Amino acid sequence: MELDGLEKTGVTVRQAGPDDVVGGVRPGVVALPESVEEISAVLRACAGAGLAVVPVGGGTKLHWGHPPERCDVLLDLCCLNEVVEHAAGDLVVKTQAGVTMDALADALAEQGQELALDVPFAEGATVGGTLAAATAGPRAFRYGTARDLLIGITVVLPDGTVARSGGRVVKNVAGYDLGKLFTGSYGTLGVIAEATFRLHPLPADRRYVVTELVRQQVQEVAAMLAASQAEPSAVELDWPGGDAPITLVVLVEGSAAGQRAEALRGAMGAGTVTDEAPAWWGLIADDELLIELRFPPARTSEVLAAVRDTGLSLRGSPVAGRVWLQPTAEPPADFAGLVSGLRERLTPVGGRVTVLAAPYEGVDRWGPVSALPLMRRVKERFDPERRMSPGRFIGGI
Amino acid sequence: MVDKPLDELTAALRALLPADSVITDPVRLRTYECDGLTYHRATPGVVVLPETAEQIAGVVRACNDFGVPFVARGSGTGLSGGALPRQDGVLIVTSKMRRVLEIDLPNRRAVVEPGVTNLAITEAVRDQGYYYAPDPSSQQVCSIGGNVAENSGGAHCLKYGFTVNHIEACEIVTPDGDLVTLDRMDPGYDLLGAFIGSEGTLGIATKITVRLSRTPEAVTTVLAAFESIEQGGQAVSAIVGVGIVPAAIEMMDALAIEAAEAAVACSYPEGAGAVLIVELDGPEREVVRQFARLQQICSGAFELRTADDPAERAAIWKGRKSAFAAVGRISPAYIVQDGVVPRTSLPKVLAAIDRLSEEYGIRVANVFHAGDGNLHPLVLFDDAESGAGERAETVSGAILDLCIEHGGSITGEHGVGVDKAKYMPRMFSADDLDTMQLVRCAFDPKGLSNPGKVFPTPRLCGEVPGVRKGVHPLVASGQAEQF
Amino acid sequence: MTSGGIDPKLINDCVHCGFCLPTCPTYTLWGEEMDSPRGRIHLMKQHVEGTPVTPEMAGHFDACLGCMACVTACPSGVRYDRLIEQTRAEVERVHVREPRERAVREIVFSLFPYPRRLRLLRPGMALAERMAPFLERVHPSLGAMAGLAPQVERRQRIPRLVRARGPRRAVVGMLTGCVQGEFFPQVNAATARVLALEGCDVVIPPGQGCCGALSVHSGREEQARRLARRTVRTFTKAGVDTVVVNAAGCGSSMKEYGQLLDAEPGFRVLDLSEYLVELGPVADRHPLPVTVAYHDACHLAHAQGIRAQPRELLTAIPGLDLREVPESAICCGSAGTYNIFQPEAARDLGDRKAKSVASTGAELLVSANPGCTMQIAAAMRRGGARIRVAHTAEVLDASLRGVSL
Repeated sequence: MELDGLEKTGVTVRQAGPDDVVGGVRPGVVALPESVEEISAVLRACAGAGLAVVPVGGGTKLHWGHPPERCDVLLDLCCLNEVVEHAAGDLVVKTQAGVTMDALADALAEQGQELALDVPFAEGATVGGTLAAATAGPRAFRYGTARDLLIGITVVLPDGTVARSGGRVVKNVAGYDLGKLFTGSYGTLGVIAEATFRLHPLPADRRYVVTELVRQQVQEVAAMLAASQAEPSAVELDWPGGDAPITLVVLVEGSAAGQRAEALRGAMGAGTVTDEAPAWWGLIADDELLIELRFPPARTSEVLAAVRDTGLSLRGSPVAGRVWLQPTAEPPADFAGLVSGLRERLTPVGGRVTVLAAPYEGVDRWGPVSALPLMRRVKERFDPERRMSPGRFIGGI
Repeated sequence: MVDKPLDELTAALRALLPADSVITDPVRLRTYECDGLTYHRATPGVVVLPETAEQIAGVVRACNDFGVPFVARGSGTGLSGGALPRQDGVLIVTSKMRRVLEIDLPNRRAVVEPGVTNLAITEAVRDQGYYYAPDPSSQQVCSIGGNVAENSGGAHCLKYGFTVNHIEACEIVTPDGDLVTLDRMDPGYDLLGAFIGSEGTLGIATKITVRLSRTPEAVTTVLAAFESIEQGGQAVSAIVGVGIVPAAIEMMDALAIEAAEAAVACSYPEGAGAVLIVELDGPEREVVRQFARLQQICSGAFELRTADDPAERAAIWKGRKSAFAAVGRISPAYIVQDGVVPRTSLPKVLAAIDRLSEEYGIRVANVFHAGDGNLHPLVLFDDAESGAGERAETVSGAILDLCIEHGGSITGEHGVGVDKAKYMPRMFSADDLDTMQLVRCAFDPKGLSNPGKVFPTPRLCGEVPGVRKGVHPLVASGQAEQF
Repeated sequence: MTSGGIDPKLINDCVHCGFCLPTCPTYTLWGEEMDSPRGRIHLMKQHVEGTPVTPEMAGHFDACLGCMACVTACPSGVRYDRLIEQTRAEVERVHVREPRERAVREIVFSLFPYPRRLRLLRPGMALAERMAPFLERVHPSLGAMAGLAPQVERRQRIPRLVRARGPRRAVVGMLTGCVQGEFFPQVNAATARVLALEGCDVVIPPGQGCCGALSVHSGREEQARRLARRTVRTFTKAGVDTVVVNAAGCGSSMKEYGQLLDAEPGFRVLDLSEYLVELGPVADRHPLPVTVAYHDACHLAHAQGIRAQPRELLTAIPGLDLREVPESAICCGSAGTYNIFQPEAARDLGDRKAKSVASTGAELLVSANPGCTMQIAAAMRRGGARIRVAHTAEVLDASLRGVSL
């Protein structure tokens, strides 16, 4: 491999080990830039040598998506771990991509603020990785997903060009929003180096209402909660599948959370109010195999019926229309058949079935998408040589 | 001037559309020469008024075949000249496409055509307890298609976000004339997010799925009158400081109040140096508690009015919502500026605007979304006075420089359009702009969709960005102007 | 100067914000800039700057209903009402219409402003209705005119003076109007009774003619001035300092006499509802258990800014259930002679309004303008629905006298 150029950048480079594998593909080296400029230098060097690059943050989702067609350099952003500026008075934070979401949360909490973005992993996930995979948690129902909270971004293109869009003010419509484009791009367009988010004050109070329902009750209760003027921040389901009952938990945040939670409990007719989140709240337990379903909330019943006999467990939001499916015990035998079966049932009701992670070949992970040709054109413009996480994303992008 | 491609294209358009939907009469064409920004004018080559998405797709395909540029226009209320027509091009007006196609309350969404007005969506669902949250001041007029193009905000976006946060899906006609659906639920790149706010340069939205929000249980609107803008500004910081996120925090200075008073007799407290409008909404119990805090915070106000019902609320908002056009009552001409600064920089920036105003002898009325630092200085001048227009332009531009200096933006909601394209290089580097161009080239390699807007330099899509040594060939040949 | 009487200053007040668009009936129908107030002002500007009046341009001005909803909506205070009047006069002056159109306009303007000529038409109304399909073929406008003909009530002779019941609180003059007086005499009778029951001596000078409203609204300035002067003379002679008007179009024109004649008349002009609210109620209101849709006549709501008063008077009647009509600011398409000159647009607007009114589920449609009620009732009949119609005065009259409607 042509590594001369890479060494000349002065950026720390080490040989890749078995822990650095991306979807089964072992990279040649791992580069550890410490600044935006160093990312740029590495990418310029890689461009010169025609090397394929996969960016990584905490590495929690490296096995998601397709394995890369090739991976010469793993670009590890762990050293870009500074919170650049927390402008508390403006409810804005600018952070480097390698900062873990936990560390960011701690820093913000000191000033009584938070980034209202829930992370599905207990630890390790970074800002950059969370953006690149666009993971969404329970409170997306109220606050939106990563792209809704991101107000500015610094990216480095495959040729080393550093580009910024947005800014450090919440309200801003100058120029195209590259932040939206890079959020959920799986490292296929370039490297996310810095991000600026809008923040929220930490809620004055939090309450959870926990109840158990049978499958047929869920949609009606969820619809009532979604329409409630008590404004819950999240409604989550946890269901082992099959004939087991479904646990439904409502989160109420803000002033008078206790009274509002009681009101919701009353409206549901059952449940208990607690100030502790259930242990599973918003977390992915085992993501060797992970499916995401997205659907119109009023189709929750169809979704639950379709999942019932798959042998998968379900966790997620019936009000935001987004749930994860994970295997309960043994991985299913005919996984491709299971996925196409789900698609067959859910596509007619407006649902989408995406395989986020699976150790199988020959599975259509994304399903059909009307805008795929446009997406390919975007990829061609940003990464004409197909060197950024090649083949990792939808349609082999 | 005989424009051959345009003439041939016009003949092709007549075959696609009903006779009275293709306008070529010069007197009629001229009524479309500008949008809400009258400073820039151009008589469109042809105006078409399609009634279906397929017709728009057909028109765009025809434009492609003949290599003729096209510009989309909704209600023509934009304030950055985003819908400024091209003399050598087609203006596609969506004002006949105003059907609400579907209201789906169980999924909290509605599907509408692009010409539907922002407020019409809310009116269609209000009785059922829902509304469409983004509320630009022109909401009773502006079209949702225009809102999507501009990523419109409004007073209430402090809490609820902008158009982009409330759009679930768009059917668009790409600049090649293909009908494609961009849906938030779809996997893949967030092209919907990139499309919204692209000011018509990435295609035309033909069908829009908006998210509907539940009407809040309680709404309390407070009007606080302060002796000075500084006192008002302190109150804003204090509100945010205690962790309240109101639905809206708006401020007007004395001159803006005077204009609103002249226009709509809004009866704001007399002698106010600044009025602050704060709207709290949400669950009743939360609003009650926040209101108590708010009253403490605004103890420095010399008058505090509270509205709890829609009529009182409308009375408070009336002055604010009509402020822009109302300035016509106190000045023969004016420039509406739109810039953003971090909220904490507001006092410094307002003081600097004051200094500019004095230095150039140009009055500036300030109306702004104080909660998110979005300034709307109204730069007043008399167009009959020689040199006044230029001085006003200078002040207006200097205000944008101030915004950039303080880490803000040259536009919070009006868009870049044709008006601010020249300011883009002050806010963004050449690399930033070139990177944005990549998106443009992916969608519109021929550069036919609303050319000349947003970006100052017409880089061709075939060119490799990054190799930017020396003068651009188009500039060198005099075909383009570099700002 | 080719632009004649269009004042460029008034044009320049328009900042092109577009707030007028959604209130404009023709823009609502067609969605075209040239048929919106903003677009028409742009056309006026083109003309002032030297573009001759083309048939297309004239067509867009003619299509304006003159409802003035845009005046209410305009935050910049553009006097579109003045502008369109000046423009219509200018169009009449410089634009040569095609012969057929000219002939029809002559028929209408030689008929409507003259009560005696209208009276001659009355026996023919029943015939006219039967003739409508044939007239339609000759010219759509003639068909429209015939289709609008109302069922005329028995002519009621109104005395010159109606004395106040109970203690006298005021003396007022009352305009009988041309269309109102001939086609809706019962409205005038009701108006006089209501005023009297509220303690007014009502002076009704005989020999009143048209106030000039129809001519003003169609750009016939000379005819308008002649009729206005006569009306001023009549009420000046009657010696009243307040003239109460029950027809919205007439009221709005009479309030502008100062402008038209360059001299203020020696009396105030007030709409009936405006006057009654100012006077305050003394008479007993008897219950009227009826659901009412109140229609804002443009010349009352927009031209005179009177929206609250009629609603206040109606809701004060025990048992009366007032329903708001959706899109209440949009014109019904009647607009004086509009439904005669622009029958298709008027018909579309009428249908739209009929739908809105029907959606309220009201039994009775109330408005302060006979033209509107004629138009809406006709549209509802076309759509297979029926609704009873009444003038605000008739509803009040029924309540005050304790009789049913």
